[in-house]
Amino acid sequence: MPTAPAAELKLRVGVDVVGVARLERVVGDDERRQATVFTEHELAYCRGKRRCYEHMAARFAAKEAVLKAFGTGISQRMRWTDVEVVNEASGRPRIRLDGAVATYAKRHGLQDLDISLSHTEDLAFAQAVSVWEQPAEDPCAST
Amino acid sequence: MADVDSAVREAVVEALALDDDEVTPESTLMEDLGAESIDLLDILFRIEKGTGVKIEASDLGDYIQGGIPDDEFSDDNQIISAKGAEQLHKVMPQTDPSELEGKLNADEVMTLFTVQNLVDMVKGRADGAGG
Repeated sequence: MPTAPAAELKLRVGVDVVGVARLERVVGDDERRQATVFTEHELAYCRGKRRCYEHMAARFAAKEAVLKAFGTGISQRMRWTDVEVVNEASGRPRIRLDGAVATYAKRHGLQDLDISLSHTEDLAFAQAVSVWEQPAEDPCAST
Repeated sequence: MADVDSAVREAVVEALALDDDEVTPESTLMEDLGAESIDLLDILFRIEKGTGVKIEASDLGDYIQGGIPDDEFSDDNQIISAKGAEQLHKVMPQTDPSELEGKLNADEVMTLFTVQNLVDMVKGRADGAGG
């Protein structure tokens, strides 16, 4: 009995760098602007840090890196708050998806997603790696 | 309300730190002017401050896609359909549907969005808000 061809896994990487001062100028201490970009959880985390804007910039970079790793930008009805950085008890960041981004991930077969963040006084950097399942082409299928 | 054309132009010039003569109505925000996501956020906040019209980044996608479901706007490989290309021509009249259908990746749609397209969107929002 023929078996179905195994699905192939595809890896995509996304990186982003954000200037801390630029992020601070754009969102500032305006709560409504901040809420356009960050979830309540993210804001609570950042506001609890001494270098609040470094952490905000790192989270903005993470959102961008994730969308780049998806092969899309913030162009398809996605909101920045659809990509949330949450921290495990160890401090390690991970990504939680919501809304249109979560729908996109499900539709296109996202299997795994990882993120790494780093920041200095001036710059915040994020790298995301995504793993997608893609059905293998059936060599027996007629065209 | 401030003149929308001027307010949008000023927002773009200031957010991207450009000279005034570098920005034309035909300039594409991302390709020609080099705007990235944080710049887009900055531009939209500045437009709101200048005109009172609030637009979120996700609204751009809604506006461009015009309510067409994802699976009708593009195929499984993210390539724009005939229906998608017609919609793009409505909001970006400078585009030629025959050049986009079956060729353009949905991820690339924003690269075609010009300063004039943004002006038109803001004006539409302002009119819709009764302003």
